[in-house]
Amino acid sequence: MAAIASTPRMRCLYIFNRDGVCLHYHVWLRPLTTLSPHQDQKLMFGLLFSLKSFTAKMDPVGGNKGNLGAPNLPGQGCSFHSFRTNTYKLSFMESPSGIKLILITDPRMGDLRDALKYIYSNIYVEYVVKNPLYTPGQPFKCELFNATLDQYVKTLQ
Amino acid sequence: MPGGGREVAESCVDSLNLELVATYCKRLHPNKPELAARRIEAIGYQVGLQLAERYTKERPRFADHLEAIKFICKDFWAEVFRKQVDNLKTNHRGVFVLQDNKFRWLTRISVDSAPPGEAAQMDVNAAANASRASQAAGQYLYFPCGLIRGALTNLGVACAVSAEVSTLPACSFVVRVKV
Repeated sequence: MAAIASTPRMRCLYIFNRDGVCLHYHVWLRPLTTLSPHQDQKLMFGLLFSLKSFTAKMDPVGGNKGNLGAPNLPGQGCSFHSFRTNTYKLSFMESPSGIKLILITDPRMGDLRDALKYIYSNIYVEYVVKNPLYTPGQPFKCELFNATLDQYVKTLQ
Repeated sequence: MPGGGREVAESCVDSLNLELVATYCKRLHPNKPELAARRIEAIGYQVGLQLAERYTKERPRFADHLEAIKFICKDFWAEVFRKQVDNLKTNHRGVFVLQDNKFRWLTRISVDSAPPGEAAQMDVNAAANASRASQAAGQYLYFPCGLIRGALTNLGVACAVSAEVSTLPACSFVVRVKV
């Protein structure tokens, strides 16, 4: 008897580097695409760049504000983690080296910060950064990365 | 571990290995892969010589060649790669094949998957990817070949070592003992 596959709650994943190059775009479910991939990625990067500087400037507590454009140390500035609309939730994480991970999911998903940390340190660093065949700064589509990511995402749903 | 027990992070060894191959094969000798291979293997030879000294400090001499090869498969491999060789074959005439089904330095190599095409093409793509990955992986085996050759030479077994990659991350090392 074939098992009925549940609709995946993960929609897509973007990985950008510090310069705005989209290193990886992974899609599980995306029924509606209105823009070309290039425009879509530029839009996403621009949105997050503005949101990050906006939240840092509007921080009512003041304190340590990061420099505009430079990657923040963990805990520096007031970076946002996610926003939710009625059809999707966008979660965001930036590593100290400027690698930005953006995860678009079903709006009912909980806090995904730990998942993003896991994806960065155990999947991206292990299978992309340490891959001898990868040149840093270039887009990648490594098979091992894809396979491990798909497997991990199944445990989140 | 004998000595003061100082340790080094494994990612340092991984990165050093990566850079070793990248420097010799791409920067210094891009048009002479044979020369790059010999240079990397020579470095491995020196390291293997010294590692064999360290790891056999407390042991008595080896009775014959087979004992020395078994030492490489078990203790030496366990010290350097934290696992043992999975399979050892010999033709009893001086040729030994050491097979490692999950060679530690090859576990992270993967090539970019081709853009999704028709279902019929997927198998062809998968096979092509696997062969490209195996070819690229060959460069990362020069250093381990030198390691084995250096260790065995210091234990009294003069030999020549070569490596083959079948499907990542499994690989095999062929040791030919010189008589």
